[in-house]
Amino acid sequence: MAPTDYRDRLAWLNTEVVLLAELVVDRYEDALTAAATGDRWLAEAVVDGDSEINERYLELERQCTDLIALQQPVASDLRLITASFKIITDLERVGDLATNLAARTQAGQEGLHPAVGIESLGGDAAAMVEAAIEAYETADPEACRALAARDDDLDGACDRATRRIIRSLLAETDADRAAARTAASRGLLTVRDIERVGDHAVNIAARSLYMIDGDDALLY
Amino acid sequence: MATQQSDSLITTEVSSSQTERAGKPDETVLSSTDLDVFYGDEQALEDISIEIPEHKVTAIIGPSGCGKSTFLRCLNRMNDLIPACEVEGELRFHGTDVHADGVDPVALRRKIGMVFQKPNPFPKTIYENVAYGLRVQDKEVTDEIVEEALRAAALWDEVKNKLDESGLELSGGQQQRLCIARAIAPDPEVILMDEPASALDPVATSKIEDLIAALAEEYTVVIVTHNMQQAARISDKTAVFLTGGRLVEFDDTKTVFENPAHDRVEEYITGKFG
Repeated sequence: MAPTDYRDRLAWLNTEVVLLAELVVDRYEDALTAAATGDRWLAEAVVDGDSEINERYLELERQCTDLIALQQPVASDLRLITASFKIITDLERVGDLATNLAARTQAGQEGLHPAVGIESLGGDAAAMVEAAIEAYETADPEACRALAARDDDLDGACDRATRRIIRSLLAETDADRAAARTAASRGLLTVRDIERVGDHAVNIAARSLYMIDGDDALLY
Repeated sequence: MATQQSDSLITTEVSSSQTERAGKPDETVLSSTDLDVFYGDEQALEDISIEIPEHKVTAIIGPSGCGKSTFLRCLNRMNDLIPACEVEGELRFHGTDVHADGVDPVALRRKIGMVFQKPNPFPKTIYENVAYGLRVQDKEVTDEIVEEALRAAALWDEVKNKLDESGLELSGGQQQRLCIARAIAPDPEVILMDEPASALDPVATSKIEDLIAALAEEYTVVIVTHNMQQAARISDKTAVFLTGGRLVEFDDTKTVFENPAHDRVEEYITGKFG
């Protein structure tokens, strides 16, 4: 239940965005573990848990809309609300990507393609979301800027993983080709989704930087 | 241009047309440098330096008693009418010192019209309310000029069939637009507005706000308002006066309301102080 006092509502919004981020990162890490270990029960729990993320996202969206409509915020208050409004959308999308990954784990007969290196690659992406939301929570502009450089590293790692998957597919014999294509396809989708998680982390950092300093340098 | 304006203030002739003004959208119309105002021993304004751009809406906001209305009244020397009021520093209209010898304050007020907080139509017909400003200036009154002023004030369609009825019969919002038409009729360059919508309901306020935006096409508008959201909606530039009669920040309205440079302004507009 959101508080009624305006300033308390702003503090509540800030806290709730951080809590939503923690929930989303937990779910994403569960999806990574499920993919790495082939644990379909854990994958199912991630898929089932997406509705909770969606509900909390919609509640925060309603709170942001009410604050804008009823309180007519300006300056840092306005930047907090508009940044939060955008950040929760990025978090909800990360939740969707966790669900996609878990759904592929549920559907897959085989384990995830080893060339993905999912625990390392996915772990980096999850850590970026955590770092971005910490920058939001602590209002740290330098941490926001550092995220953009970190995303270049993740993009490079994803690119290398993509090449590894394609090379392994080309090396497969004819007899294995159908199964290899399925595994490679699943591996490529997973790498693409990990890269997107990194992009959402950068978006969160960009909105946080705008919120903190009114600096729109990372918004692109 | 500055010379023309200087001459015109002395001779009371209006030298520049609205067409000419429209061609100079970024010039400074009014500027003050280190302006101080005293009411007896009380200092109402301190070191106000500001440049008000042409064909823009400049909003002046700030808490009660910060001197924003005092500053507005300085711009057309309305404060001359207050015996205890003393003005120091420089105030220029198109580069001409408005306090210089030979400058006629009445001529200045023809160039810089004013609309007040409470609608104050004269107990005359709607037509005569608009014509009044022309008559006192010995200017020709024509139906076309009256219609043009009423159209510019977005009132014509509502009153065109009852021009001979009393202005006092109109609603509050219509009366305020009638006062704006009266201010427009003598063809000023600047329109000063002191809380023009504070006594109006939301619909009438919305009409006045739309009107202010339209007026900026042809006039320079300076508006004092307590309503910060109104300032945010309608103005291009915002000046924030704070306690002590000081101008703390003057910038594009978007900047002031999204990312003000001064902590005191941030605290004031977000309601943490004021």
